[in-house]
Amino acid sequence: MSFLEPMLLAAIPLIGLPVLIHLVNQRRYQTMPWAAMIFLLAAHRLSRGFARLRQWLILAVRTLAIAGLVFALARPLASGWLGLAAGSKTDTTIILLDRSPSMSTASAGGIGTKLETGRRHLAEAFAKLGSDHWVLVDSATAEATEIQSPEDLLSVAEADPVGASANLPAMLRTAYEYMQSNQTGRTDIWICSDMRSHDWDAEGGQWPALRQSFLDLPQAVRFYLLAFAEEPQENMSIRMTDIRRRQTDQGASLVVSLEVTRSQKMAESATIPLEFDIDGARSVLHVEIAGRTHELKDHEISLGANQIQGWGRVSIPADSNNFDNEFFFVFDEPKIRRTLLVTEEPSASRALHLAAEIAADAEVETSVEVSSPEQLSTIAWEEIGLVLWQAPLPSGKDAALLESYVESDGRLVFLPPRSPGLNSIFDFSWGDWLKTSEDVTVGNWRGDADLLAHTLSGSALPVGELQVPRICGARGEMTPLATLSSGEVLLGRLPTARGGVYVLATTALESDSSLATDGVVLYVMVQRALAEGCRRLGQVQQQVAGAIGGDSSGWERLMGAELALSNQYAYHSGVFRTGERLLALNRSGAEDAVRVLSEEQIDRVFEGLDWVRLDGQADESSSLVNEIWRLFLLGMLIALLVEAALCLPKIRPAVKAVA
Amino acid sequence: MQGSVSGRHASAQRGSSVEFAEYRRYVQGDDLRRIDWRAFGRTDRYYVKEFEADTNLRCCMVLDTSGSMEFGSKGISKIEYAKQLAGALAYLAVQQGDAVGISCVADEKVAELPPRRNPAHLSAIFDVLEQAEPQGETRLVPILHELAESVAQRALIVIFSDFFLPTEELRDCFEHLRFRKHDITVFQLLDPMELAFEFQRPMRFLDMEGGPSVFADPTEITDRYHEALATFLSDFKKMMLESGTDYHRVTTDVSYEKVFMDFLACRHDSQRVR
Repeated sequence: MSFLEPMLLAAIPLIGLPVLIHLVNQRRYQTMPWAAMIFLLAAHRLSRGFARLRQWLILAVRTLAIAGLVFALARPLASGWLGLAAGSKTDTTIILLDRSPSMSTASAGGIGTKLETGRRHLAEAFAKLGSDHWVLVDSATAEATEIQSPEDLLSVAEADPVGASANLPAMLRTAYEYMQSNQTGRTDIWICSDMRSHDWDAEGGQWPALRQSFLDLPQAVRFYLLAFAEEPQENMSIRMTDIRRRQTDQGASLVVSLEVTRSQKMAESATIPLEFDIDGARSVLHVEIAGRTHELKDHEISLGANQIQGWGRVSIPADSNNFDNEFFFVFDEPKIRRTLLVTEEPSASRALHLAAEIAADAEVETSVEVSSPEQLSTIAWEEIGLVLWQAPLPSGKDAALLESYVESDGRLVFLPPRSPGLNSIFDFSWGDWLKTSEDVTVGNWRGDADLLAHTLSGSALPVGELQVPRICGARGEMTPLATLSSGEVLLGRLPTARGGVYVLATTALESDSSLATDGVVLYVMVQRALAEGCRRLGQVQQQVAGAIGGDSSGWERLMGAELALSNQYAYHSGVFRTGERLLALNRSGAEDAVRVLSEEQIDRVFEGLDWVRLDGQADESSSLVNEIWRLFLLGMLIALLVEAALCLPKIRPAVKAVA
Repeated sequence: MQGSVSGRHASAQRGSSVEFAEYRRYVQGDDLRRIDWRAFGRTDRYYVKEFEADTNLRCCMVLDTSGSMEFGSKGISKIEYAKQLAGALAYLAVQQGDAVGISCVADEKVAELPPRRNPAHLSAIFDVLEQAEPQGETRLVPILHELAESVAQRALIVIFSDFFLPTEELRDCFEHLRFRKHDITVFQLLDPMELAFEFQRPMRFLDMEGGPSVFADPTEITDRYHEALATFLSDFKKMMLESGTDYHRVTTDVSYEKVFMDFLACRHDSQRVR
């Protein structure tokens, strides 16, 4: 229990006052010589048991009354979960605020969102708990910002909702670094989140190190998890899965594919209007939804003949979360998807060449440029969407070129050369070639995201049918995307701040794998990596909010993000112009997936740490921290009443005339 | 009364006197001189006329001088009150020519004067009364038993005490006295405060006879005290009636003269009935 006036608890010894007075009174009782002791002894024998009990009860209630008064004056704080603070004041309170779109889910009443409720609760609680320093780590930037008072949580722009997803491990890392660099004293870390799986990445490899970091800190750290894990009551989200401009003899049109997803509780079929807003021109399309998701494929919207480039928005009616009711897009003439194939033996990379060259869509133009490692300096990197590197790892200037390319959001896939060599790049190097036994297949792979994700129809890629007789060892920290049943990583993703670097630990040669013969997996992988890489090309880009970091002060807002500060445009959904480029930013696809951490996962994440979970609900009116001095005063009053009742003299019948 | 010499008191025995008592049917062996011939003339039956036999009095006073007798809330303690009653009774008896003795009883027989008719004996009794100081616990029961045995002739036994003793023990000694044909008079002396027990605050009660002290809250104990007291007084009174004892419950706020006059009147009435 914590107290707003803990100094007054020094008066707790006063609780013993009734006992002391009782003892003093016992010594000060009047004595009376008495003759008729025979009757007094008889009466005393009969009433001694109850009298003693009554005396103890009176002492107890008097003690309770004083205790109630002392505690009431000390202004205790409490709530159902509040075992916190332990009375001493916190030196630093760090608030990790999840501002992601899913936190903008409102309650059934539609009055407050999870984020608003969380901010209000935290501000009220902190105003009562007190702390010397307040630090806000917001989910968009994952940077620590000092705030003056808890009330600032309700007003600062860093606490407003954004389109960018949260990265809780990164936010915790920021909190840890702040504590280390500022040598904070006792620190409370409050995490306000809706516990979405993708925000937490509970299975990620960074958690053990993060936990250990906090455990190694010399100062006391306590975590308070204010969780808003409830699922939205009725919510729909819209997401554009594809958009391209088509030029035909009849004119130009925009071909869009989109997906509408409804929450699990919305089972009945309904007709909803999809409103398209393209450069100010609005059109409405009514679609009927029967199940949880509805896909609209290649819906064509006519464009003006001269409208080469543009932007727009598709939206659905308002519901419990308005942040997933619209999706922004930009369009332009389709660009050539260029792939750079770096190989020592072009013949050995034939399958890769074909996989990159054959476009998935007839309207998309592709090209593959084959190069040797020595010719890198002649490459026009700004036009490349994907680099397939099947050669010894580069070093020196070549390595710097590749790193720069990846930094500019390019995609890069490393495949093992015949002679792996000793070079390393991105903290990765090749090991030796290994022969696997015949029964080795791909044991598991990630079908939920990245290159091997399931198709739009939900069916899995035939990764399990691949044969991998030879595999090259891969050294370095990476996120496995596919692993052989023998344990070796077949496909992994190296950790990079931007872009994407993949490691495919075998080649498409028949002697090494069946990637070429069972070509579906290879083709899909290459095309997906190419499509991702080509997003950065051209004058228009579809990006996930928050994926492009940095200051966005020079950006011009064209659509959406009405309330955002100009230096935070990068974290908001909307359409922006930066220089000559048009940028459409939207929430990530994971925001639409209502998957929250299980209890076991949360326990694992905080294993060994001092933490408390607090469950909140959107639109919850009660406060996290309540002053309960009234309760103690009431207790005191009851104790006094009981004391008075116990002290009341018994009603005696009329005195018998014994004389 | 029964005495060895003739006196002013009606004897318990029938005899010759001027005070007619009753007619009785003549039985063989009766003195023929006592046949009432007038009655024979009227009824044609022989009746013997009986008269009250006047005799002197042997009065043995027993004064309880235990610690409890010191209690007094109205300016006079029970022992002082008892002394006044005993002194008055002794004076009256001696003035009538009766023999009076006294025994002071606490945890032992403190003082004892055998009954005498000598007027000079009165001052000795007064000296004993004056020197009697309440102390210690009472051993009234064994001493009454002892008295029952030691007084050879029938006598008037007058006991002054609060009788704060178990009634069963008292019953035995009264029956013993009665068995010895003694005429018993009891003055039970009680203080008004002992009867009312009206205290407001918790107090420590010290036993005046040296027993353990008791810390008690009157609000808890008063009812039970009254209950125990009422039971005791009721039982005691019943015991007095059963044993034919002349019982006088006296509270010390009543004038001792009135009590004494009531006692005398009561004795007179009982003599007349007899």
